[in-house]
Amino acid sequence: MIGPSHLHNHSEAVVSTQSTGNFIKHTKVQVAKISPDLTESVAKEELQQSCDNFFRENIYLAGKSITEKAVERVVDGDTILIYKKSQLILHILLEAKARNKNFRVMVVDSRPDLSGVQSCERLTAAGIPCSYVYINSCTYVMKKVTKVMLAADALLANGYVLGPVGTALIGLISSTYNKPVIVCCETYKFSERVQTDSILYNELADPDSMLKTLNEEDTPVSNWRDCPNTRLVNLVYDTTPPALVSIVITEIAELPCTSAPVVLRRGAVKM
Amino acid sequence: MDPFLLKKITRDTKSQLEEFALYLSENKNERRSYVSVVKTINVFRDLICTAEWVTGRELIKIVKCYCKYLPLSQSNETDVSNVVRRILKIIREESVGPEATNSADGISAFFKTDIKPCNLGRSDLQDNILNSIVELLAELDTSKSNIVNMALEHIHSNERILTYGHSNTIRDFLLYGRKARDFEVIVCESGPSLKGHKMAAELSEGGIKTTVIADSAAFAIIHAVNKVIIGTHTIMADGALRATNGVHQVAMAAKFFSVPVIVCAPLYKLSPTHLCSYDPDAFNKVIGPEKMLNFSNANLHSKVLISNPDFDYVPSDLIELFITNTGGHAPSYLYRIISELYHPEDYDLDNMCVEDVEDEMAT
Repeated sequence: MIGPSHLHNHSEAVVSTQSTGNFIKHTKVQVAKISPDLTESVAKEELQQSCDNFFRENIYLAGKSITEKAVERVVDGDTILIYKKSQLILHILLEAKARNKNFRVMVVDSRPDLSGVQSCERLTAAGIPCSYVYINSCTYVMKKVTKVMLAADALLANGYVLGPVGTALIGLISSTYNKPVIVCCETYKFSERVQTDSILYNELADPDSMLKTLNEEDTPVSNWRDCPNTRLVNLVYDTTPPALVSIVITEIAELPCTSAPVVLRRGAVKM
Repeated sequence: MDPFLLKKITRDTKSQLEEFALYLSENKNERRSYVSVVKTINVFRDLICTAEWVTGRELIKIVKCYCKYLPLSQSNETDVSNVVRRILKIIREESVGPEATNSADGISAFFKTDIKPCNLGRSDLQDNILNSIVELLAELDTSKSNIVNMALEHIHSNERILTYGHSNTIRDFLLYGRKARDFEVIVCESGPSLKGHKMAAELSEGGIKTTVIADSAAFAIIHAVNKVIIGTHTIMADGALRATNGVHQVAMAAKFFSVPVIVCAPLYKLSPTHLCSYDPDAFNKVIGPEKMLNFSNANLHSKVLISNPDFDYVPSDLIELFITNTGGHAPSYLYRIISELYHPEDYDLDNMCVEDVEDEMAT
């Protein structure tokens, strides 16, 4: 009979971001709850059902609820700054456009993955006027921006926001220029972990992707593996201190960053 | 070219002046500032020798007429403008004569807007001016080595230093420090031009352990860094910088974690101009977006406004120290250096002095 320990070995192979971690915890609990006198196929069906429920409640419906709340914050004449590509933020902007709100979007992108280009494509396809800059030019464009909407990969128990690397810089620049920073995050992403800096617990992506240039040219460090003194570091996440974030929109409430442990205690992730 | 100027110069000089103006308008992005500064001095030295003038005031008028012809108002040309201001200061000082500059009241002499007629004839005055220009060239020659030799006072062992993009001064500064100290350098790659990669390759060839990170990771790693050492394109009059795009946010992140930001730059980059507007015409320069997004993605290019500014404004309160060829200075001290290097009448190179305007109105 399959038990939670079998899942454990498989879950190690899965990328252990916090959001996936919560889902794995949830599944392990479900596996433990299954009564031993059910047949294997019925048990599997039940498990599948609980996974679908998790998805439906915590991801799909939560996303819709967040969209409802966030769209209220988009007003006519806004210039909204977004960072790279996030399904949730794009969904919010497309919904705002569908409700005939008149706004512009400033897409900030960064190397090496340059996923902001896809954001631009989706937004222009929907008829939303866009501007596009690299993160270096964030201070150059910040004056014209009215609000900043960021997505999070996790919200830590001490209020720090874990997001794609560069989120913290955008939070810093926005708060220096006094622009509201709105973070949209489903509650299944809330984590009990605490972290004060971005290095202690992070991920490294493929360093060779930093060598990719648009015209396929070599850069001077293309042979970095032959040089003992050169290293390429491609961080995936960074943590934004709560002082730099104005508000976090979740499906249950709109909270300040520091209310993360309150949500965790309420058991927001439905087991 | 101004008819007044044309009357005063020979045909050879005219072609040389035109050639220099052309040189300034080409290859802006790749030009090394030291090379253009030396070229500027040589061109103006020839102008001083070959043009027709009798008094210092006439010579200043000729030099300013030529400046109007040069493309100096572009934000890239501050090094050339600053050197021209130094030359004008030399001419003014030599014209006023040794007694005025040696007097105890020397400071007030700097603010006198008229130039007293001096007893020196043209040949003596010209000799004095050319000697001072030779001294200026010697000062420029040693400016980089003066900065680089201070490396050991500012880098200690087992430090982690963050730098941004590529700078010849910073590269030599760090390589000099490597001779006696063991430390690590983290280089921000400075997209979209990726000049940081070139810097990293040069530093690791020199034996320094170098790590290349993306610009977006600056906030993530800066708390683990001991100091930020950067170069700049221009130093503004209040101690602010016109630096490579992206330096402002690195300086902001450094301030957030109280990491000192040190700027190494020779004094010919110190400009007596202030920021009046962030617009591309007044301060910044926006270059083509082909390095950000391929032109093959024409659909997006036609619909999306893509900005690729070249420079960044860094306010002076984010900077801890300036290391220049005359030593280390706090940003608050730069106003004093400006008053020593340049004459107030030359801050705006288009400005004609009062007597010349009256002359023009009389004719």
